[in-house]
Amino acid sequence: MRYGLLVMGAPYSSQATHSALRFASALLTQGHQLESVFFYHDGVYNAARHAAPPQDEPHLYDAWCALHTEHGTQLHVCIAAALRRGMLDAREAERHGKVGHSVEAPFELTGLGQLIDLGQNVDRLLTFAP
Amino acid sequence: MILHILNRPPSHSRVYRQALDAMAEHDRLLLIEDAVTGALISQVEHFQSIAGRLYVLQEDLVSRGLDSHCAEAVHIVDMEGFVRLTEEAEKTVSWY
Amino acid sequence: MSLPSSGSGDLLVILRHPPHGSSWLREGLDVALVAAAFGQAVSLLFQDEGVLALLKEQQAGPLGQKGTAATLDMLAMYDIESLYIDAEALNRFGLHADALQLPATRVDAEAIKSLLNQHQQVLTF
Repeated sequence: MRYGLLVMGAPYSSQATHSALRFASALLTQGHQLESVFFYHDGVYNAARHAAPPQDEPHLYDAWCALHTEHGTQLHVCIAAALRRGMLDAREAERHGKVGHSVEAPFELTGLGQLIDLGQNVDRLLTFAP
Repeated sequence: MILHILNRPPSHSRVYRQALDAMAEHDRLLLIEDAVTGALISQVEHFQSIAGRLYVLQEDLVSRGLDSHCAEAVHIVDMEGFVRLTEEAEKTVSWY
Repeated sequence: MSLPSSGSGDLLVILRHPPHGSSWLREGLDVALVAAAFGQAVSLLFQDEGVLALLKEQQAGPLGQKGTAATLDMLAMYDIESLYIDAEALNRFGLHADALQLPATRVDAEAIKSLLNQHQQVLTF
């Protein structure tokens, strides 16, 4: 089956990200596909590329990137939710006259339409929220 | 048949009541994260109306040291079981 | 109480949070509007504290945060007219239909179960 995840919790602050990653890993092990993860609400903070957790803690940012690299999972970040929370990619940073940027590939800033599309294209869409 | 997923326990929030209100005759409820305390012998009465259709995620019980305090009637599932529950349901609804 | 036959659709958005205290209501409504713009048949269920989202005379927030009233006015423009409201929560908050900005069908637990079953997808906010 094709799965999609809607993640709405910030990394570390709640268990939403942890649960989502654990579920993702299990569904892939069982032979399903994880088409895309859509990050909304505080979930957009999962795209923070400068995340630097201590070495003895899970590196959540890297875990998302690995899903993309190893399984082709798309990582879509709601642009409206991201911008108001200071999560900008290089293009948006330039557009808004900001120095530096916090989001880069494989995370992509997209519209809410991608969430609607995801819901239509997958067999199961699960929400992990704080 | 819908799989409902709850992550806040009755001791914390009344969202579990909204989940129960929304559950039809064959729907199932899975307790994850902090909601696993809902599976404790002393707490499980909150879910009496769905006896037999209540599930709890093992790894969240274990990490909280609660696995030996779980009410017997609650079905304990691992992550693989969680995935299976989602396969068997036509859709999932998360309550937080 | 049973639903009118129009109680089915593509997407049911359940709004459980009140205005201003968090961004959930705003973000849930945004999803509903985008889904409708994409041609989906969208229904809204205002449940528990979410019933407060429909109150008349809401204002912008004290720091200038946008209020909900303008978004509610947009619902009809996007053809979102299937609004349902948790009767028990309305009673609990002592609210009557005339306190609401938009008409919504009162639903009990049985009707809520039907709503979840009759929509292809359900998202909660």
